[in-house]
Amino acid sequence: MWILSYLPDFVTHIIFTVGVVGTIAGFVLGFIPFIATYKLPIQIISILVLSFGLFLEGGLADQAVWQLKVKEMEAKVAEAKAQSAQVNTTVVTKILTKRQIIKEKGDEVITYIDKEIVKYDPTCPIPEVAINAHNAAAQPPTDLKK
Amino acid sequence: MKNILIFCTVLLTGCSTVVPVKYTFPTVPEVLLEKCEALDTIEKPTSVLSELMKTVTNNYRKYYSCGALVESWQEWYTAQKKIAETTNSE
Repeated sequence: MWILSYLPDFVTHIIFTVGVVGTIAGFVLGFIPFIATYKLPIQIISILVLSFGLFLEGGLADQAVWQLKVKEMEAKVAEAKAQSAQVNTTVVTKILTKRQIIKEKGDEVITYIDKEIVKYDPTCPIPEVAINAHNAAAQPPTDLKK
Repeated sequence: MKNILIFCTVLLTGCSTVVPVKYTFPTVPEVLLEKCEALDTIEKPTSVLSELMKTVTNNYRKYYSCGALVESWQEWYTAQKKIAETTNSE
């Protein structure tokens, strides 16, 4: 409620209290001479002030409930952010580990090729058509390049 | 009529209560945004067996690396979606 952002809480309580006191004075203390003179104006103004005070008190109570909800939500968001950061760390660590394993496995195979397969290089020439077929398979389809 | 409208506006202002805190979907880690490498080809018209084998091995390595990246993407998205849905639904 916008009006509560301008009014301090104690002003709301004062308005409400004035409304209550005024209403009691206007309706119960009519026998006092001063009050008896201004009885009707006191009653009308007191009812209006009491109504406004009640409205503000209701707003304050409602605002307190919502501020509690905001705090709860902020706590949940903070927890979610922590969980999210944990997921990020786990996923990044996992992908880096997987890549390292894949690289090491490839390096092992290449070491094996350099050690064992090279022996067959002189006796096992690869025809050009086989190279062309390999290169064609390694290239992405032209439609995908667009 | 004008006064009634103003009065109603003041009263209804008290009803506009929305929790102004919302969990936003997180940013993707940089490592997941890397593109998959293109596969190697053999440039020489004539080649030896070992060179062909090395190229194929490297291509397998790139494939598995790219596959791991996709799996990580899926894992990241699923986990983050669950966190976001759980937080915002309550």
